[in-house]
Amino acid sequence: MMRASVGGSTAIVGIGRAMTRRGDGPPKTPLQLGAVAAVDALRKAGIKRGQVGALFTGRMPTSYMVLQYNQALLNELKIGPAFSSEVTSHGAGALGTLQLGAMAVHSGAIDYALCVTNDSSGVWLNQTHANAATEGELQFEYPYGASTPSLYAQFACRYMHEFNITPAMAARVAVENRRWALDHPHAAMRSKGPITVDDVLASRMIASPLRLLDCAVWYPGGIATAMVVTRADVARADHEPLAYLAGFGQCSTHEWVSERMGGWGYAPLEDGPNMFRTGAAEAARQAYAMAALKPKDIDIVQTSVPFSFAHLIILEELGFCGIGEGGAFVESGGIDYDGGLPFNTMGGYLSFGQVSQGLYNMHETINQMWGRAEGRQVPDVEVGLVHGHGGPLASHSAVIVSKERLQ
Amino acid sequence: MNYEMHKAIDWSQGLPLTAGDYFLGIYQPSPETAGYWEAVARRELVLKWCPHCRIAFHPKRIVCTACGADDLEWKRASGRATVYSFSEVHHAPSGVFAPSVPYTVGLVALEEGVHLFSRLIPEGDAKVAIGAPAQVEFRVMELGQLLPVFVVGKP
Repeated sequence: MMRASVGGSTAIVGIGRAMTRRGDGPPKTPLQLGAVAAVDALRKAGIKRGQVGALFTGRMPTSYMVLQYNQALLNELKIGPAFSSEVTSHGAGALGTLQLGAMAVHSGAIDYALCVTNDSSGVWLNQTHANAATEGELQFEYPYGASTPSLYAQFACRYMHEFNITPAMAARVAVENRRWALDHPHAAMRSKGPITVDDVLASRMIASPLRLLDCAVWYPGGIATAMVVTRADVARADHEPLAYLAGFGQCSTHEWVSERMGGWGYAPLEDGPNMFRTGAAEAARQAYAMAALKPKDIDIVQTSVPFSFAHLIILEELGFCGIGEGGAFVESGGIDYDGGLPFNTMGGYLSFGQVSQGLYNMHETINQMWGRAEGRQVPDVEVGLVHGHGGPLASHSAVIVSKERLQ
Repeated sequence: MNYEMHKAIDWSQGLPLTAGDYFLGIYQPSPETAGYWEAVARRELVLKWCPHCRIAFHPKRIVCTACGADDLEWKRASGRATVYSFSEVHHAPSGVFAPSVPYTVGLVALEEGVHLFSRLIPEGDAKVAIGAPAQVEFRVMELGQLLPVFVVGKP
């Protein structure tokens, strides 16, 4: 059990970002973007290379497959940290970098952790083809023709059955995500205009019950985000704290869909095995406990699941509605652009686009806190929750950040 | 160990897996699953079995989740199952599956309490639905490989 005192004891003091767009000049690799973002973050934090005590990167980018990607980045940055690692719990590892960074600085072993995520698969790969099969288990799933959507669809099918969830309820997520994306200058689907529930239900079937507009769009470019984490006392003495890491948690339940149905049934997932509950509930429970906050205290939420219906499960598990009530919550305006919970304010994976991995959702949350969210500013953001996910609903992380120190 | 499962397959070469233009790797049985594929070649469905706890597991399992034993045995399954979840695939993951769309993949709950991912094939007027009974059959599928599949609507 994490000592409660870690909650709020660390802060982000520098953020760097690098972006590229397909067709926007010579293509850039994730390493190019990551190095630029990292240098930018160190400069903004006002620290030198020699002060970096830990480097944590997301997992090896799909478009830059080297083992020990953290070493490639460390090499380029010419830093010599005491701790360095990829955080490999799929996409959940992006937020995992912040969690490990916070624990490393909280322990007192180091003063500064540099956390970097980067990918530019949208520039280098046809991901619609390349990713289609890579999430299937190669002996027991892929040979049956399991596409990635068809693996997530197993959760959708059973979840809809258990709780009488309809495709129209899930479609509302796609509609509201698109509405936010229309306000974001870099959103992949901005130029496509708004969509309706009927548009989603009329789009072509990919893997039932998932239609084209129920699915994430791959970001047509690349984004690197780098963040510097330090202790709150150091942050206040020597920097301008951008956000405090009030609480965080993580839970991974499986690697393959088949395995989700075997081997659980004990804490923390005593209600399993099943295909309609995920590790997000446990990740959120840890984060809320550490932050001493409740869902009603959260002003803004970002998540990173690639299919419409999965947002309903995640909204339930993050505590914004009851279990099985995700559909009714969304249908009654729970995440409406107008008046609902500010949810996926960049447009989410469905309409901003999925960058394989990234801290860009956290960057968005902190931008919202400081009034830097360009045309999509949410008023009075003090506390935000970011959910990270990877694998077929396999790995989940939750991080709660606050503008002021709460604990 | 005999890896020969079907005459179309030369296990010494493995099976190439592709997704669109991308080559993902070679698919081969692993030591802990070889017995499963040998049984498939005999058109039998087997599961891992802990002789101490008397629990059946997925064929990939290496250690018993209850007692930690690693001397798991192979035990023949009845092949009777019910559909747990399913998805009708309209957009195939690679060219080799494209001529088969739409086809249905899903999880079945075997009588022994183990869930397997498989192809679900409705027979006659049967519809694939949650809870529908299904029975194992062995068919050569798109990759040229003999696989256990589940026929829905067969008594």
